[in-house]
Amino acid sequence: MSEKLNGQESPPKKKKTTRVEVDVTRRDVLTLAGIAAGSAVASVALTSGPLSPFAGLQREQLTAGEESAGHGATGKHHWGMVIDLDRCIGCEYCLRACSATNDVATDKPWNIVVPEETSTGVPFYFSRPCMHCQVAPCVEVCPVQATYVREDGVVIMDYDRCIGCRYCEVACPYDARKFNWETNTEHNPYIPTWGIAEIPRRPRGVAEKCTFCVHRIDQGLANGLVPGVNPEATPACVNICPVGARTFGDLKDPNSKVTQMISKNPTIVLREELGTRPSVYYIPPKEGL
Amino acid sequence: MAVSTIDNKIEKKPIQMKPGLIAWFLLIGLLLLIGLISAFRVFSQGLVLTNMSDTVPWGLWITIDLSSIALGAGAFTLSAIVYLMGLKRFQPIIRLAIYVGFIGYTAALLTLVMDIGRPDRFWHPWVYWNVHSVLWEITWCITIYLTIMIFEVLPVITELKFFDRWPWTRTAAHKLHSIAPLLALLGLLISLLHQSSLGATYGIVKARAIWFKPSMPIMFILSAIAVGPALTMTVAFLSEWITGKRRIPHDILFTIAQYSGFALLVYGYLRFWDTMATTYYGRTPSVMQALSLLRETTPYNFSFWVLEIILGVLVPAILFLMPRFRRRPVLLVIGTGLAVMGIIVNRWNTTVSGLTVPLSYSPGVLYQAPTGSYFPNLTEWGIALGVIGYVLFMLTIGMLFLPLFPKEEKH
Ligand code: SF4
Ligand code: SF4
Repeated sequence: MSEKLNGQESPPKKKKTTRVEVDVTRRDVLTLAGIAAGSAVASVALTSGPLSPFAGLQREQLTAGEESAGHGATGKHHWGMVIDLDRCIGCEYCLRACSATNDVATDKPWNIVVPEETSTGVPFYFSRPCMHCQVAPCVEVCPVQATYVREDGVVIMDYDRCIGCRYCEVACPYDARKFNWETNTEHNPYIPTWGIAEIPRRPRGVAEKCTFCVHRIDQGLANGLVPGVNPEATPACVNICPVGARTFGDLKDPNSKVTQMISKNPTIVLREELGTRPSVYYIPPKEGL
Repeated sequence: MAVSTIDNKIEKKPIQMKPGLIAWFLLIGLLLLIGLISAFRVFSQGLVLTNMSDTVPWGLWITIDLSSIALGAGAFTLSAIVYLMGLKRFQPIIRLAIYVGFIGYTAALLTLVMDIGRPDRFWHPWVYWNVHSVLWEITWCITIYLTIMIFEVLPVITELKFFDRWPWTRTAAHKLHSIAPLLALLGLLISLLHQSSLGATYGIVKARAIWFKPSMPIMFILSAIAVGPALTMTVAFLSEWITGKRRIPHDILFTIAQYSGFALLVYGYLRFWDTMATTYYGRTPSVMQALSLLRETTPYNFSFWVLEIILGVLVPAILFLMPRFRRRPVLLVIGTGLAVMGIIVNRWNTTVSGLTVPLSYSPGVLYQAPTGSYFPNLTEWGIALGVIGYVLFMLTIGMLFLPLFPKEEKH
């Protein structure tokens, strides 16, 4: 192709009076051809190939609205929770059971319970575990993949890998992460009244957060139990709630309690506009929010 | 040749310690001692010693990281000018620029190691990759760029008399030197990337309205390439005043100041539109709430307008550009000082302001996560002093012992 081009361009060279084209060399043509070919490849790759910046977006976020539970979880299950804001009485039992079971420092609870009010002034209580986002900002920002979304949708920490940069804490939209500023040596006042420690304390210098009591889920499944049905395989906060405000189960199982509740009740997720696709759903108060 | 002999004399002179120099080294030693004691305490007792908290998990140290990397940008900007744009006139300042950049980056790494909760795992980002994380990308870029800078600084070090004994080091260094343009090009790409993605660290956090904007990376890179070269220029002037030898032609330094002035104006202009677009024209409730909260609870308004914009951008731009000022070294040095202050205040404001504003995720209208409040405590300042001591130490030994300046002037 380059020769052909050169051939076309050489005739004017002979007419010395015009001098239209003088210094397009074979090398120039080759370079230009290379640039053209490179651009073509880049265009194809960027617009259609797996490298396309929008491919991931399509896959991950555009489907969020279509499926009730937007399955970021790729496995058989997707563990999720439904919290009924109308039922919650603000007793903080969930906070205490959680702090005992996971041996959490009392000033940094994984679960918070706070008094709230609807826009019409009706009081209610709001509690918040980790949302176990399927598109989790904390997972996206962690430089070492010390936190990740498991196949069953649970977002957990690898305490042996975390470098303690606290970027996840900064990026989590729900304030669900806490950092171990010091070695936790305090006496845990919730043990044994509210439960016993089932996992070791985290070392100094790493981030931590609610795990959906993943140790119970894993052990329960191994023993043939059903998380959300058998208490041994269910998060401590769900078991302890005296009014049944929290329900746990498999969002992928159409017959599970959580799926049933989501289909029968109006539900919301927190800060839906961020596209984080939480695994925790809230049933708002009857009066509306 | 004549200049070369002078250079050799300079290398020998400082060995006769003058009282001034001794006092200077004592001061540096004191700063380093404070830093070491603070570092030891933090390593042994943990980050609980700092005033950082779960609401404001980043603070002074991150500000130091960001600032010293931004201020090290003179290395890649001037390298680009010489090797990429082919303006060989600026060659004499390259070594100094790279050395200053090297100090900036190593200072940042030192602080970073203090700041992470598990310094023993500093190597994890190299082994465990999360390619989606800007912080991972930054760690890699900084590592690669620092390696490049070491390669660029090595030839300078082997020129020391000390290495006479091992001639092969010189040959090796010479080979390295011949690929300097290639290194510079690679370094340029890498540092463009991470200087910007340091801004993206904040810009991508969608949870926080006041950070979440695409202009963040642009602002970071622009301010860095504006102020970095000015800092190199100032170091050149300072070394000239202290040693009493003019070693980098002044016209180069004046041109750099002028360039910095223009770059500052561009930065200031874009900053203006950034502010206008987010606050005046396109205000969203969350951004406006955040800003009024900052105005009420922090000196954000003052530090933004007065320290960042007026003193940090406009005044230096005037000093660098007005014909009556721009050829007066003292004013240029003062201008750089102000611009450097502007950068530091900017990085501080970016970090702390975004964290002060509480997250609002609750579905109701009553509950607000706690408002952050943060001011560094003595331990954190101690580390800061130590880093300053390190920077001064490196600058001093660089000037005393390293052939950072050209041996022959072509002008
Ligand atoms: S709520 Fe926060 S910590 Fe939990 S998965 Fe989402 S972003 Fe991560
Ligand atoms: S603190 Fe740990 S888990 Fe969080 S982003 Fe940093 S390395 Fe990852």
